[in-house]
Order: sequence, then C-alpha cells, then structure tokens
Amino acid sequence: MSRYLDRSADIGEFIPQPDDDLIICRCEEITKGEIRKAVHLGMWTMTEVKRLIRPGMGLCQGQTCSKHVKGVIAKELHISPAELDDLTARPPMRPVEMGVFGNEVESHE
Amino acid sequence: MKRYNLAVIGAGPAGLSAAIEAKKHGMEKVAVFDENSRPGGQLFKQIHKFFGSKEHKAKIRGFKIGEDLLAEAEALGVDVHLNSVVAGIYFPMKRLGVIENECLINYSADNIIIATGANENFIPFDGWTLPGVIGAGAAQTMMNLHGVQPGKKILMVGSGNVGLVVSFQLLQAGCEVAAVIDAAPRVGGYGVHASKVARTGVPFYLSHTVVKAEGEDHVTGAVIAQVDSHFKPVPGTEKHIEVDTICMAVGLTPMSKLCSMAGCKMVDKGGAVPETDKYGATSIEGLYAAGDVAGIEEASSAMITGRISALAACRKDCYITDGEFEKEYDELEGSINKLRKGMFSHENKGRTDITKTDEGIDLSMTLLTKGYVSDREIERFPGVVKEKGVHPVIECTQNIPCNPCQDACKFGCISVGEDITSLPYVNKASRCTGCGMCVANCSGQAIFLVNDDFEPGYSTVTIPYEFIPRPSIGDKGTALSRGGEAVCEAEVVDIKVSPVFDHTALLTMKVPKDMSMKARFYKGKEAL
Repeated sequence: MSRYLDRSADIGEFIPQPDDDLIICRCEEITKGEIRKAVHLGMWTMTEVKRLIRPGMGLCQGQTCSKHVKGVIAKELHISPAELDDLTARPPMRPVEMGVFGNEVESHE
Repeated sequence: MKRYNLAVIGAGPAGLSAAIEAKKHGMEKVAVFDENSRPGGQLFKQIHKFFGSKEHKAKIRGFKIGEDLLAEAEALGVDVHLNSVVAGIYFPMKRLGVIENECLINYSADNIIIATGANENFIPFDGWTLPGVIGAGAAQTMMNLHGVQPGKKILMVGSGNVGLVVSFQLLQAGCEVAAVIDAAPRVGGYGVHASKVARTGVPFYLSHTVVKAEGEDHVTGAVIAQVDSHFKPVPGTEKHIEVDTICMAVGLTPMSKLCSMAGCKMVDKGGAVPETDKYGATSIEGLYAAGDVAGIEEASSAMITGRISALAACRKDCYITDGEFEKEYDELEGSINKLRKGMFSHENKGRTDITKTDEGIDLSMTLLTKGYVSDREIERFPGVVKEKGVHPVIECTQNIPCNPCQDACKFGCISVGEDITSLPYVNKASRCTGCGMCVANCSGQAIFLVNDDFEPGYSTVTIPYEFIPRPSIGDKGTALSRGGEAVCEAEVVDIKVSPVFDHTALLTMKVPKDMSMKARFYKGKEAL
C-alpha cells in the first residue's frame, strides 16, 4: 500500500493551529499538536510516531484512533493517507495481563 | 494440542454460518471463538426485520436469525468458545493463541476462517471525549441487550443504515432524537429507514457536521454546522442543539488486524482488508476471510460469504468433491448477487449522481435531503394507487434488494417480479381484503392501507406501529405527515396484533378524507 517516503521532502515549519489541543488518541490522550510536532521531529510513519509518543498503545490498541493518527500525519506530510502503512499487527490483539501470559496451558483433544 | 478441522474467529453472522456449513459437510471438529460473552455478533442487537428475500431470511428480525443460527450450530456440535480472545494467529503453523479463563491456550487448525467483522469509526471534534459521545453500536448494546436508555435526547451523526436504524430504535426505546445529521449531501441509507424516522418528526440536516460537544463533565449540548463541498464547516452556520447524547454512526472499518498478523496480502478498501478470491481465500493457504472483515456489507451477505468460505475449506480438504462444491457455490453466488444489486450496491456506493430508479422514475429528492418523500413526488411510484375501498399504498421508492411484500399478499395484489431490487407495484387492488399482511411484513415499514370509502367525509389509514404503549381503539390523537408535521386529528379505530405480524401492530386511524394520502403516523395526545 505504501510507497517509499521521500525523506528529503520539505514539509515546512511547524505552524501552531487552533485545534492543536484536540485529543486524537483517547486512550493515551495524545493531541493533534503532539502528533504534528512529532512529524516535524522527523517521525514520518505510524510506527515512528507510535514509538515516540504512544498513540495506539492504549486500551483499544489503535482501533479507534489509527485512522485519525494516519490522517494527521499524512496531512502534515502533504500526502494521501493511503500512502502510509498501518501499524504492524502484533499479538496480543487485545491488552492482556502479564499473569495471563504466565498461565499458558496446553489444549487437549 | 487440540487440533480442529476448522477454527472460526468471530461468532457473528458470517462465523456461525461458516461453522454450520462446515459441520453439515462432514468436518468433524469445528470451533468458533468469540471475545464476547454472547454469540451472534451484531445480530442480537438487530431488532428490525431484515431485507432480502425468503432465502436471505427476509422479514425475520435480526436477533431471531441469531438465535436460529446459534441453535443450529449447537445442534450440529460446533464447539462455541465464548469470552475467548484470539490474541494471536501464527502461520505457517496454523496456530491460535487464545485467552480463555485467564489462561493462554494454544490450538491448531487445518483451516481458519477470520470473521471478526468491523469496528465503528469516530470523528474527532471539540469535546468528542466527553461522556455522552457514544458509538451507534454502543447505543444498540445499551438499549437492546441491557434495556438501558443511552440518554434522553440524542443527536445522531450519520444517515447511513446504521444511523437510521439506531435512530428508530432510540425512538422505540423512548428517547428523543433531536436530529439526524450527515456531512454528505444525501441520506446514505435506505429511504424507507429514513422515512420511518422522519415521519415521527425527527429533522434531517444533510451537509452538516458536528463541530462541538458542549459540557463540563458530560454532554449537555451539541453545535452543528453546515459544510461546504470539501466537508469543511462554513463559519456562521453553527446551530446549537440541546442534547445529552451524541451518537456516532459514521461508518465501519474492517477489523482485519488478525489477517495482517497472519501475513495475508492486504489491500485498501476503506480500511485494510485481506486480498481474497471469490471464495474468501486469502493469500495464505487454509486461511479465509468472511463477512465485514473482507469488506463492509450487510449481515445478510455475511451469512452467505461465511458459508462460501466454509465450502472452500471443505473442498480443499476433500470433504466435498469439486462437482459438489461448484453446484453449491453457484447457488450461493446467485443468492448473494441478488443482494448486491440496486442503487445501494457496492459498485454504487457513495454515488451521488443517481437520479432515476431502474424503472426510469425520477428519484424523490426530498427523500434524499429530508428523509421523506413529498406529497407531490409520492404519486409517481408504482406502488401508489388510488382505488375504491381498502387497498395497499406502497411507498417504496428506491431499488433495494427486498421482496417480502410480494409473498405477503395471498391475493396477488403486490408484485416485485424476478429482480428483487425492482419497485413493488400494486395490481388488482380490488382483490385487497385489508388483511394487513403486507403492512406487517414490509421490513421497511413502507406499506399502508388506505380506505377512502370508510364513511362519508372520512378515510382510514392503516400504519405499521412498533412503539409501546400501543394506543387503544377510540383514542384520539394527531396524524403526522411523512415529514412528521401534524396534519389533522386522528381517531384510532382499530389496532391489530397477531403472532404472524411479529410484533408489528397495525394501527388504523380515521382521518378526514383529504388527509388519507398525507397522514402516515399517529401520535397520541399524551405524547405531544
């Protein structure tokens, strides 16, 4: 889906916007402004933004906000959201307590 | 490690249908995993009658379809795991890591069908994180599973079928729906769904979006504004609406994470979906995707795609021959193709340039912008006739896949024809006995009985009525127009309830003769 991102492209300066304090990721309470700033720090993919400021790492695991985060990043980069890869899908699908992981049992016929 | 012939992830319409089909074709060990405590996916929240034709379980309410599917799966010995989160999927070992009873349990399966459905979209706006901003699905869960009103006064954002169906359910639950708004210039869902909301008096604001949820610690109001052709709010058009709940029905995104985790080749179809062939087989051998996770459709289609994927798995593992497979597949394909026709089909999705029905009749533009067909427009549709005595008036004006009305009339008054998306028409209205089966069986609540010869100066209008408490014979109230405006006084002269009507009451009201083609809803005095 994604194409190679041209890292040398000039995306201009970070210009504050009136709705910068709009929360985009509800679980981790990450605002639009924080995501935009991360892009200007050089975080140009969903994964990079996630690693720096944690959108999509809360209770819903990005189920609600992924689309929005992608939209904000894409707009800042002046590209279409379709050009950005989704977050890597990794287990567990849902937040799981560590104790449960410790309880691995064998299924029997 | 326990090994299944088929493991299905998601016990919704697609998943349950897949498991049933696999069992029927001889697969011994079939399991369905679902993270919820109740199976059925969204089916158990669907209290409305479904569309389609008999083979698609038309006119049966969604939750009943869910109950039937579950009973069938259990009778066939499908292993249904509830409260079971499939946390991981591992290929090429074809293994599932499932969280059950606070344990991580691994299962392996020869075939895996992912039928995880979709999750609701949201749009971020000022105040969207306030308690009181909820998804339409959450509203349905509260009302239809738990018997709790999500709020007293609700703003519905989104006029697709989900937004319209949930708006009607909110009204049924006794909530007030302050407005239905949509950023698009046209109502997105079926006109019949919009009409049954509009006739109760709910205003529709198209080309409008919500810009703010007001309130300190919960929603106390909403600000909506008109949008321009780029969906940007137009300054100065803001309107304040007093509501305590803002309900979002702004589309669905396939919940396809397990597919990409497994390593399927993904494509973008309004969200990432696995690339599949016509049988639902993904790029990975033995892994299938069925239902909304492979592309958003209706539950009726999901039941068929689930069955198709299960058949494909059965053929792969030689439970059925190629010949048997082809025969069954052709039948299912024919059935799903009937549902995929009409102006709401996939290929027509999002189109705003359709102006005529397949029959060449101009569409009602009032329906697309205000949610109801105007008095002038209604006359041109083939279901709308003027006859002596009691006869049906069918206000079905769009090509949607549905034909229970044709089967409902035992006297042959109503025809849809071979193509189930055709508009129904009334033939030989003189045969009508006024039994009301068509009124009760119309999933879109779009059929009325009109009798202009009731008594001098007065006509009767029989409407489908799905609200409680039901009025009683002799009650006097107000007749509302298609657009929900009070048009005249009305007296309830009959209220029919019958098991064959399946909870749809037939309310007959007496109105002045010149109102018989205007009055389409009854509001009791105390409700005003």
